[in-house]
Amino acid sequence: MTEPPAPTLAAEAEAFHLAFFHHPPPAEVVERYIAANLHCLGESALDPTSSAVVRRHLDPEAVELVLRLRGPSRLTQKIQILFYLAEVRSENYGFFASQGESLPAALLALIASVLRSAWKFLKGHYLVRRYRLV
Amino acid sequence: MFDAIVVGSGAAGVAAARALSGTRSILVLDVGHRPPPLPDTEGTLNELRQHSPDLFHFLIGERFESLHNLHNPPVSLKLKAPLMTYILRDAATLSPHRATAFQAVMSFAAGGLANAWGAGVYRFTPSDLTDFPVTRAQLDPFYDDVGAHIGISGEDDDLFPLFGHEPVLQPPVQLSRFAADLLRGYRRRKPGLAAQGISLGRTRLAVLTRPHNNRPVYRYGNYEFFRPYDRAIYNPAFTLDELIAANRIVYEPRHLAASYREHSDHVEVISRHTETGEIQRFQGRTLILAAGAINSAKLVLQSNRDHDTRLPLLDNPMACLPLFRLNRIGQALEPSDSSLGQLNLICRHDGLVLQGSIYGGPGPLRSDLIFQLPFAIGANLSLLRRLAVATGLLMMFYPCDPVAGNDLRLAPDGVLEIRCGTKPLLPARDVLLKAMRSMGCVASAAMWQYPAMGAGIHYAGTLPMRTQPGRYQLDPAGRLSGTRRIFVADGAAFPRLPAKNLTYTIMANAARIASSIPFEAL
Ligand SMILES: Cc1cc2nc3c(=O)[nH]c(=O)nc-3n(C[C@H](O)[C@H](O)[C@H](O)COP(=O)(O)OP(=O)(O)OC[C@H]3O[C@@H](n4cnc5c(N)ncnc54)[C@H](O)[C@@H]3O)c2cc1C
Repeated sequence: MTEPPAPTLAAEAEAFHLAFFHHPPPAEVVERYIAANLHCLGESALDPTSSAVVRRHLDPEAVELVLRLRGPSRLTQKIQILFYLAEVRSENYGFFASQGESLPAALLALIASVLRSAWKFLKGHYLVRRYRLV
Repeated sequence: MFDAIVVGSGAAGVAAARALSGTRSILVLDVGHRPPPLPDTEGTLNELRQHSPDLFHFLIGERFESLHNLHNPPVSLKLKAPLMTYILRDAATLSPHRATAFQAVMSFAAGGLANAWGAGVYRFTPSDLTDFPVTRAQLDPFYDDVGAHIGISGEDDDLFPLFGHEPVLQPPVQLSRFAADLLRGYRRRKPGLAAQGISLGRTRLAVLTRPHNNRPVYRYGNYEFFRPYDRAIYNPAFTLDELIAANRIVYEPRHLAASYREHSDHVEVISRHTETGEIQRFQGRTLILAAGAINSAKLVLQSNRDHDTRLPLLDNPMACLPLFRLNRIGQALEPSDSSLGQLNLICRHDGLVLQGSIYGGPGPLRSDLIFQLPFAIGANLSLLRRLAVATGLLMMFYPCDPVAGNDLRLAPDGVLEIRCGTKPLLPARDVLLKAMRSMGCVASAAMWQYPAMGAGIHYAGTLPMRTQPGRYQLDPAGRLSGTRRIFVADGAAFPRLPAKNLTYTIMANAARIASSIPFEAL
């Protein structure tokens, strides 16, 4: 089996955006993601761990959690860049600001997202070991 | 020759210049960075974020200014948005420093650090002024004058004994839902809280709720983290511009004062033009240093070519505690909101008076915070989204006295060395947690944080006033010991810091010092 080609920064932007915002990023966001990576991360913008996550279609949320809990990680910085770029667009407003919901619904959603976090942690742990991501 | 040369156009510089203008000829020397052209923003930030397809240029910036914290956590998130970066611009080259266990921020903007301030304004009480060779009675006329000029809103409530009488007090700013809940919780539990030494009340703000001095009222747009020069929130640059427009001062921006020399009948200030590099000399009968406590001290050391002496440095140590109100979880953002201080809390503990400011409202970008929470990104985002209206932040300030090891020195290579060798003890954590819980908040000791020293951004005490001043100290009139014509008007003059934001007192004291210069006797 041949290794897939190393993904570009554009492919990272697309993969992360799709994973977190469930739609492909507009062209400006991809351009800005590339420019922001080069501006903020310089030579380390091409990060083997992030590349592997995208190339192998791994779950970025799961891997990021495990790496972040171990210490500062390049993958976290890259996803954070994407979040900054996505947050300032009105199409993503609903991801960042509550439109209002009842207290029980909100509490249930919070409990569910914390439980989902535990699942993501286990999954991330497995992926990091399975693909030797650090 | 000018009667006075004022170095700096921050809160101290404009208060000194204003006090003298009209009767004396004044030159204000300043680096004086200004903001870029500001966009016209209609409506609130929340509305803008819903309806403007793309706010990249406004909130992130062409040079990715808002991503600055990927590598360097900013001392304040208020100092990183693209329209706010002029506030700290060039500080690292104009006044390079090496710091140990201290985070120093310096501004070379017209108006200084107060371009980003929270505008909390409190008079020092007589007990706050312990160790000052100045009484409250001496300061009061200057507080009155400064207060009338800048415009103060607030309320005489349980904090009155600590904030004092303000002759003209505009109605307080509207509370966020979070703060209103908290205040109700406090009122219900007041007797028990009073027994624990806790009082809560409305913040005093240099923010207009009634038009004043050609300035409009605050409109709850919640732009504080992103856009400067809201004319409802006082900025010393407004006073500077008024003085320039009325020809009451001569203003020379783009000048970095490097040193001064005192002669028998005048003072000469040597400055470097920040664009051309040209060295220029200005002469005045007196010199008033108002470059901020750190840079005024640097100018004094530089002028004395002193690379050995360590001068004391004060800043209020801080602690921060996120607070949550369960009943507000999941609610939609308030249509109009603000990131201004909402409430103040006073805690009397073991003979100390501690003061905190409580902020509510979702000010910064969510992306500033998402990666600081311990869960998966989706969960962090879900928490931040649902808790936005239910969250507040208590920022506690502790008093600060000079201690050995917390100081600055001008190294022979011209770089300031700032160090904080002695970590302060910050008491009352458990009392405060208990108090916040009894007011109906969820608060956890695990979330109690101590920001780095320097994060208080209340720098002071480098050239303190004393009744019997020694070298590098000031007499009660603000005159540098061993000189006739050199005065220091900023927070450098404070011998200690009570647990209270200091800028109102800096301004009142600067006006006092400038007004009492005995020009006739010089
Ligand atoms: C985020 C934030 C929130 C704050 N909130 C509050 C608050 O709520 N309440 C409060 O009381 N305080 C607050 N402060 C603190 C307040 O801003 C400062 O106490 C105040 O600005 C100090 O004023 P200053 O004039 O002494 O010095 P600065 O504001 O530092 O001004 C210095 C001036 O001197 C000039 N300068 C410096 N060196 C030279 C030189 N060599 N040559 C020529 N010019 C020079 C600069 O250009 C500038 O104009 C806050 C600060 C920040 C950053």
